[in-house]
Parts: sequence; C-alpha cells; structure tokens
Amino acid sequence: MRFGVGLWCLQGTATSPRHHIQAYRELREDALLVEELGYESVWLSEHHFFYDGYCPALLPTAATVLGATTRLRVGTGMLLLPLQRADRVATAAVELAERSGGRLDLGTGLGYRDTEFDGKGVPRSERVARHRAGLDAVATTAARSPLEVWVGSATPAGIARAGARGLGVLLSGANPLSLVEELAVASRQGWVQAGRPGGRRPAVAALRNVWVTDDPAERRSVLDWFRASYVLYAGLGWSVAATGDTPAMDFRRQADEAIQSAVDTAIIGSPDTVIQGLRDVAAAGVDYVIFRVLLEGVDRRALHDVLRRLAADVMPALRDVVPPDEPAIERAPVPDRGTA
Amino acid sequence: MRIGLVLPSGDEAAAAHRAERHGLFGVLVEGTSPGAEAVVAGLVAPVTASVRILLRVPLGSEHPVTLAEEVSVLDNASGGRVVVVADTADLDAEAAVEDLELLRRALSARPVRHVGARWRFPAALHPDVPERLTVTPEPAQVAVPVWLTGEAGASVAARTGLPHVAQDPASCSSADFVQPGVTTLSGHLDADRDFVLRWAAAGATHLLVRLPAGQRIEDVLGLVSRYLQPEVSMPSFPRIIAESKPPDPWRHGIATT
Repeated sequence: MRFGVGLWCLQGTATSPRHHIQAYRELREDALLVEELGYESVWLSEHHFFYDGYCPALLPTAATVLGATTRLRVGTGMLLLPLQRADRVATAAVELAERSGGRLDLGTGLGYRDTEFDGKGVPRSERVARHRAGLDAVATTAARSPLEVWVGSATPAGIARAGARGLGVLLSGANPLSLVEELAVASRQGWVQAGRPGGRRPAVAALRNVWVTDDPAERRSVLDWFRASYVLYAGLGWSVAATGDTPAMDFRRQADEAIQSAVDTAIIGSPDTVIQGLRDVAAAGVDYVIFRVLLEGVDRRALHDVLRRLAADVMPALRDVVPPDEPAIERAPVPDRGTA
Repeated sequence: MRIGLVLPSGDEAAAAHRAERHGLFGVLVEGTSPGAEAVVAGLVAPVTASVRILLRVPLGSEHPVTLAEEVSVLDNASGGRVVVVADTADLDAEAAVEDLELLRRALSARPVRHVGARWRFPAALHPDVPERLTVTPEPAQVAVPVWLTGEAGASVAARTGLPHVAQDPASCSSADFVQPGVTTLSGHLDADRDFVLRWAAAGATHLLVRLPAGQRIEDVLGLVSRYLQPEVSMPSFPRIIAESKPPDPWRHGIATT
C-alpha cells in the first residue's frame, strides 16, 4: 500500500482565519515534514471565487512545493480541466514534471459549481466533453514525458473511462467504503474491457479520513474537525449522485445528513484500529491511500503529531498489503451514464 | 537605477538564487512554452526570499481571470514579490487593453463584472450565479505592479498609463516614476559600464539584463554586483571602491587557505 497526504486547499476561513502568505508558507513547511517522514506525496485541491481564497491555480502551487523538496511527489486532486485551456495545462504540467524529476501527479476532474463555470465562460453542460478532449490533449503532449495523469470521479462510468485510458483514479474521502469498492471495480473493468492499455493495472487511490489517537478527548475533537471540514462542501454545494447500493450525498439540500455520512467514513483510533481499517480499504480495491488530515480547525501541532504517528505506527504494518487481484471483475459491464 | 536578471532558460531557480545572492533587485521569468512561466516562477519562489519575481504574462494565452489567479497565488506564495510583465503577444492594442483591464480588475479584490468585445465575466450562462464575482485569493501586495511589453506594449502603455519596458535608452522617459528597460550585456566591463550609464542617464529606473552568449552566469552576476550596480546607484561612483581588493573572506572557524 502506498501513502500520501492531503488535501491542501490554502484557505483562510471564517472559523480558522490566516493570511494567505502564511497558508502557502505552511504548505511548504508541511511538505518538508511529510517528505522527511517517508510519505510518497502531498495532494492539493482547487476551487474558484470562494471567499476563503481556496487555491485556484494548482500547477504554480505544486511548483512551489516541488521547488522546496527533493523526493516528494505533488498531486493535483483535482485540477478542474474543463475550466482551463487543456493544451496550456498540458505543456505547463509536462514542463513541471520534467523539471522536477517526474514528481508531478496531474489529477484532473470535472468541477461542479455553476459559479466556477460561469466565471470561466464555460457552459457546465460541456464539462464531460471538455474533460475528455482535455485528457486527449494531455495524453498527446505528455507522451514520452514523466508526467503521471490521474482522474477523479464519483461515478462508475467516469471511473471506468479513466480505466479504459489506463489512468489511475483518485476517489473522494466522503465516499463510503461500499462506493469505493464499486468504483475500484469500475476502474478494473474499464481497464480490462479496453484491452489492458499500458499493460499494468492503473492504480486506485482514495482519500480516507484517518486519525490515530487513543485519547477520547482528541477523538471528539477530531470528529468535530471532520464535521467542520465537510461544512465547507455544504457551502460549495457539492453533491454525489446515488449509485449501486450507495445513497446520494447532497451537501446542498441535505447538508446535515451528507456531513454525517462523510464523517462516518472516518477511521479513528489506536494504531491497530487504523491498521485494520486500512486493511478493509485495501480489500475494497485501493492501492494508494491519501490520508485526509488537513482539517478545518486542526491544530498544526496535532497535524504534525498525527503525521508522525501514521508514519511510525501504521504505515510500516501496511507496506506489503496489496488489494486483491481483480476483485469482482466478472460483474456486469459498467453502463456509460454520460455523467462524468 | 536597479539592475535585474532575465533568467536564462534551463535551471531558472538556481540562476534566480544566484542573482539574489548578488543583490539584484529582481529576476524575469519568461517561460519557453505556454503556461510554463507560472510554473517556473513557482519553482523560483521557494529558493529565493528577497528578489522580485517578474512574471511574463502573455495576454491572450488564457482567460484573463485564470491568469490573474495564477499571479495572485504566486504573489502569496512568494510573500508579495510578484511584478506582472504583461506581454501583448499576438493581441492588437484594442484586445490587449481589454484583457489587461479584466486581469487588473481581477487582482483588485473587488466584485468584478466585465462585459467587453472579448470577454463577459461572469458569463451569465447559468441561473443563480451572481452578477459580479470576486477573484480569490487576493494578492499579498497592496497592488501588484504591472509593466508592459510586446509589440502593442507601447500603445497599451500610452492608453493605460502603465510602465512600458523600453528596448533601448532612447525609448526611456525620465518623466515617468517607473521606467523599466531590458537589454543584453556584452560581458566586457568597460563597454557594459558605459552601456548601463547610458540607460541610467536616459531615465531608466529598472534595467533587466540578459546574459551574453557563452558567458558563465556567475561571472556576469559578479560583474553586475561589483561594478555595474554600484556605478548606477549614485552619480560619480568612486570606482576605487569596486576596483580595490575585496575584503578577506575569513569566517569564524572556517579556514580559507
């Protein structure tokens, strides 16, 4: 199992205010610690026109981290490809990958906020087509470059399409494990049905809400940090459609229910508890866990402490854990719902 | 007059770090492929602490709001050190003025509404989207300086009142508070000393210098920091200071022989 950390959003929020210079400085400091502790990667997130300064430009931000580190990979989780000129994204990403020794993971997603599409003059209805065309442009430019490309989606159809391209996928931390498993299967199915492009099964990465603590008081605080983090999505108006056995998660219309559902995915407890929880995640088909520990309200000392505990007490026990080979690959083909 | 360096393509971050150690005021990131300017500037930011990062922004290469977002992120990531060098690139003056206006408004931290020949912001494509949007994060600086370059640069400068990067001393205006210029050094002390003095006499306030072909960057930066920058930092610089033997480099506990 591989390990990364996320998501850095570079905000200064209503309940955790800070100057943005501080946010970008702390990102570099955190990245140096993450690198020192032996994690593989850090992951960044993008939004636009939001009051808290949520990072709108991931490649320049990734560059500031890659320029400060020597081994650590930096991922965009996700760069909203339909909102930009894909050819420009491609050349910039390839340039950055080549200059950083191949340490850039270009994760791409669709975006979902009408406001962001409107601000960039792009009809939201075109997002799937623009994302597909964008991935084509990236693939053309990135051929023979060390750039790794990933796709983010919450639907089996979107994940299967990424698998058919031979691209790895990054799944949301709010997804319950049942959906994670369904999407992991979709990735494998898409890849197999496309003739196994690239010859190597694309990775399934998943953000997971994880915290190591034996302290009941810290556990209560951590649960509240997870809750506060997902309040953001109520503000952003995110929703995930129902799929398979997993009900819809609508942060806009049913905020409390959606927030609680996301918080319920958290694995919090002793190292043994977290290790077992992550074994379950691996069994669901996940190769690569991105610990979602950048939480609203989290004390930075607590953040650094949990990063150390995960690195020392959890990761070594899971290094050799791999997902089952092609689980449930005989399931029915994934229908293309034309959504993501 | 202050002297800065046009970063040679290749390892710009290392060159910027060296330029900072030599006390240059700024480094210009030009970029060699679309979008590369901003990521190279991102690589420069963490390895420098003081130099201004002059970022070439090719107008027309992206939505002006996207370009503004990149500028603002880099300004915060660098602690407020970005200067935009807006390149009119393939745009004519009319188009460049519109792109530049939207870019600058997007950096203002105000709610913005723009309706022009090239852009409508917000685009009014979706229901329930506000009539104005604020581009975030806001830059770290009170106002990000914007200079102009490119074929239509002089024309746009005349219409906007922004500084235009002169290509020769004759194009400088000593009446303007900020008058940048860009040139290539020869690497020969006497010639370059006369050269920068001509720029200073013409009224340039900031001179960006390109490295002469075939010269080592360290040698050229040494020439700038020891001879050229002092020469243009005061009228009648007493050259004995630059030409005397440098002070002994002994440091406590470090043998130098």
